[in-house]
Amino acid sequence: MSVDVRQLKNKAAAKLLTKYPILLKQWAKKATIITFSDTPWSPLTTEINQCRLALVTTGGVRLKSQPAFNMQDSAGDPSFREIPDSISLSELTITHDYYDVQDAGKDINIILPVQRVAELKQGGEIKSINHRHFSFMGHIKNHHINTLINKTAPKVASALKKDGVDIVILTPG
Amino acid sequence: MGLIQRIIEKEGIATISISLSRQVTQKVRPPRALYPGFPMGHPLGFPNQISQQLNVLRQLLFYLKTIERPGTIEDVNLTDPTDPNGDRAAY
Repeated sequence: MSVDVRQLKNKAAAKLLTKYPILLKQWAKKATIITFSDTPWSPLTTEINQCRLALVTTGGVRLKSQPAFNMQDSAGDPSFREIPDSISLSELTITHDYYDVQDAGKDINIILPVQRVAELKQGGEIKSINHRHFSFMGHIKNHHINTLINKTAPKVASALKKDGVDIVILTPG
Repeated sequence: MGLIQRIIEKEGIATISISLSRQVTQKVRPPRALYPGFPMGHPLGFPNQISQQLNVLRQLLFYLKTIERPGTIEDVNLTDPTDPNGDRAAY
């Protein structure tokens, strides 16, 4: 199957999964998903209004000036993009064939709520927002899972720790 | 996404995520998750619905602080019955 045809099929499937959530449930029953029996845990010891917050999305958000995520590899793209908090929303775009991006294109806050968290900070509900957020393309399969687990995700985690981030909200696509 | 969340949590940062598929989240077992019942592509709800988006964020912050059991998925129905898009979110 040519890349163009496969991408068209992926986009059509994404629209159906968004419109008919029962299909997502059926997909989830059959999908091969890494399963864990344990859960890492870092208890929050600081009050929320004293915390520095960062966002991490797997919704394929990027700056228009950054390279697009690779949609031609059927195993996905485990790389990430750094999104400055000070960015204008008009400088953002989305590369992701595996969910329907039509509504996110109208208001990217439904995927990466940069304006909303700024309002929470203005209201004193959180102390500060990190100077950068991070974005992945959340359709990672096969050999790229190892890259994600062993390279790119730890690099982002380390950067967030270095930034002094207390809390992270993660949003899918 | 849960894989990334687990790695950030291991770094010592408290995390919470939005789940759009309860079944997937149950398998990956991230530390804390909120399941608001929204469809794919809409983790914070619908475009330009500012109060709804803020509500989701406030719920996330609340459960980030209050969840005590690792792996908890909080079910909250944040879909608005008066929302013209509500039927798309009702599952």
